[in-house]
Amino acid sequence: MKRSNIFWLFAVASAAFTVLVVASLAFLFWQQLPPTEKDLVARLAHDYIGYIFSAAVFLLAGLGFALDWLFRLYILPLDKLAEETRLIHSVNPSHRIHLEGSRDIVRLVNIINESADQYEYLNSQLNTEIERARADADEEKNILAAVMAELPEGVLICNKDGRILLYNKRARRYLVGEIGSIESSDVSPGRFIGLGRSVFGVIDKHLIVHALDEIARKLKSEDADIASYFVTMGADQRLLRVEAVPLLDHRRQFTGFVLIFRDITRQMESGSRLNVLLRSLGRGTRASLASIRAAIEAIIEYPNMDSGKLQKFKEIIHSETITIGRIIDDATSSHFINLRSYWPLTQMSGRDMLAATARKAEEILGIDILTEAADEDLWLKVDSYSIISALTFLQKQLIEVTGSHRLIYKMAREGRFACFDIIWEGKPVRPETLRKWEEQPVAVDRQALSSTLKEIIEQHAAEIWSHAYKDRQKAYLRLLFPVAESVENGRIRNLTILPKSRPEFFDFDLFSQPGQRPELDQHLLPELTYTVFDTETTGLDPQGGDEILSIGAVRIVNNRILREECFDQLVDPRRRIPEESIRIHGILPEMVTGQPPIEKALPSFLQFSEDTILVAHNAAFDMRMLQLKEELSGVRFSNPVLDTMLLSAVVQPGQKDHDMEGIAARLGISIVGRHTALGDALVTAEIFLKLIPLLKKQGIATLGQARSASRKTYYARLKY
Amino acid sequence: MGKKILIVDDEPSIIVPLQFLMEQNGYDTMVAFSGEEAMESILADPPDLILLDIMLPIIDGFEVCQRVRERSELDHVRIIMITAMGSEANIAKGLALGADAYITKPFSNAAVVEKVRELLKQKDETK
Repeated sequence: MKRSNIFWLFAVASAAFTVLVVASLAFLFWQQLPPTEKDLVARLAHDYIGYIFSAAVFLLAGLGFALDWLFRLYILPLDKLAEETRLIHSVNPSHRIHLEGSRDIVRLVNIINESADQYEYLNSQLNTEIERARADADEEKNILAAVMAELPEGVLICNKDGRILLYNKRARRYLVGEIGSIESSDVSPGRFIGLGRSVFGVIDKHLIVHALDEIARKLKSEDADIASYFVTMGADQRLLRVEAVPLLDHRRQFTGFVLIFRDITRQMESGSRLNVLLRSLGRGTRASLASIRAAIEAIIEYPNMDSGKLQKFKEIIHSETITIGRIIDDATSSHFINLRSYWPLTQMSGRDMLAATARKAEEILGIDILTEAADEDLWLKVDSYSIISALTFLQKQLIEVTGSHRLIYKMAREGRFACFDIIWEGKPVRPETLRKWEEQPVAVDRQALSSTLKEIIEQHAAEIWSHAYKDRQKAYLRLLFPVAESVENGRIRNLTILPKSRPEFFDFDLFSQPGQRPELDQHLLPELTYTVFDTETTGLDPQGGDEILSIGAVRIVNNRILREECFDQLVDPRRRIPEESIRIHGILPEMVTGQPPIEKALPSFLQFSEDTILVAHNAAFDMRMLQLKEELSGVRFSNPVLDTMLLSAVVQPGQKDHDMEGIAARLGISIVGRHTALGDALVTAEIFLKLIPLLKKQGIATLGQARSASRKTYYARLKY
Repeated sequence: MGKKILIVDDEPSIIVPLQFLMEQNGYDTMVAFSGEEAMESILADPPDLILLDIMLPIIDGFEVCQRVRERSELDHVRIIMITAMGSEANIAKGLALGADAYITKPFSNAAVVEKVRELLKQKDETK
């Protein structure tokens, strides 16, 4: 209940009590009077009732005015004084108190203001000292940041849960393209990269899990090259070769990993052009030369052949020479790009490949694998992720067709080839069945690669077939790989172990960042990750058909606003924008033409805000706007929500004004870009960060406490 | 009666000289321009030897070879694979699937005739 209401309740209760006491005394007095005096008193009362009533009213009114004076001059100012003093020493030392009240209160205000001057001065002195010290540290940081930014490779560091601790600009460009919003023409749910975000949002989780498995195996076997390599598709059809390197702490415990990206698109393009060129030249010219040679040799060998036949052979020679010319023309002007045919491969021992394939088959397909030992020194060149996925896919199909759940692996060398045989009891796979499998995209365990089995086999320059053994009891499926003749001993990636002390240049607190789970309510507010957002709309009536025109958002990670990681998207409302709303937000109809409609923009925003707490000013309005689009967009925001308007009412119940300007002014935040969605989101984020310490002083430290305190405030009753 | 040779290739420009060459050497010839046509011809009238190109549309030479080898009644049919691909992995695959010999384009007519003669002779000996 508001303090003024409490006070007036108290005043009314006091007045009622006084009346009750006076009436009781009068009644007792009346009981003791003899009848004659009773008559006298009754007559007196009757004659002077006007005076008696007036006296009572004046007395009560006087009491009321006295109480009101006391309340306005002493009690209310004291309350505000407490709130504003707290503001000065917690978030805004330049705030000064201006209150009307009794002389004593005004004196107290002056003393507090003088103390605030002193406090502000000391504070600024201290801050200057801190700033100076920080500047030195920043310079070192900047040097490192500049070096990171200029690296020719993209670098991304994650903790063991895959949360991003650090990335450079190149990594961002490679993985998500240039920062900004989704493109208007072809909107797909955007990919976002950011501190504290999961790396799995930008790289297929299976690829990373596979790489980490391989690293774990290498660590176990104390392999010299500790890295794992894979290829992934980045933004803008960029082909990236990724090197994953583990980070171990001083106890050699796995604590995170580094991903190093190289853009191999061009290299692949030129390599694949060359490859295609050579293949088409080879295949095409061989066939034509065969025809010419066969014809000429026949003419020479059989000089007496009839003239019809001779003419026919001459025509063959003529047309085949034209064909060769055309093949050469085509080959030299060819811009045909087949990225898949020049896939980068890394060396893997045959033994490791058998073990990794068996493990995956047992894990995913639940079958028994018997492995016949592979040659010790058999090395293959593979893209281990795609080839093992392909082998798992093959076995899955095999089980379906043959019904056999017991498979035998055998790897043996035959000349320059390694034969990887999968053996079972029964008949071989029909060639037409195998052809069908080859055309399918490789899909295992709900994950599908973009390559078909045939493409993966071609990438490895391998051959595949199925055949029966001579005894016809058993059949095999054979993959024939070229053997890698020598182990590459070039550049290898050694193990990185972190020193016992913390790295000097970066704050890696995110290493211990909790994952975003339902038990979030227990977490302290500064620990959590937030998406602070705002919408601009065509009006203030979501139910009445007003639409979103723009969404702006920034992220807060580790109590810091990440201004680089913002979301700023105009939305086509597909309706007229009222003049009066344009005066507020300045979004003209031509600005939203060609922008995505709300059902395209929301999935992207959902992805941006994934795993975070949503924060908005007057969130009830914005959330209502989003909820009304749930059905259309198929997107539901189930994140916890905090509202800066409600939180402000929680920490400053004495203030009437909880709009954004009022709060910002009290907290010493300057407003820039008000009434653009991104501008308002930034101001809201700053307000929110300043509210956190104020909430803490009231014992509100966790998300759960903040949410329940918000619910209790008067403003929470506002509904849209 | 001469031995029957089936020539399978989708390029007429190679079929014509091969056919001429085989006929000049006293063999009867049949031709097929695709894998399906080849299978039909083999089943209808099994030849003694097949000159089989690998790069055929839909059913390729490997598959024709494999289908022939699956039928015991066709065990006597000799198969020479002819290809423009010329990769070692290809040759290994062809031989594993039951081809008797392998010739890479461009080839000399003499080598083809020699190979055909040799295989048919072996066949006679094993009868």
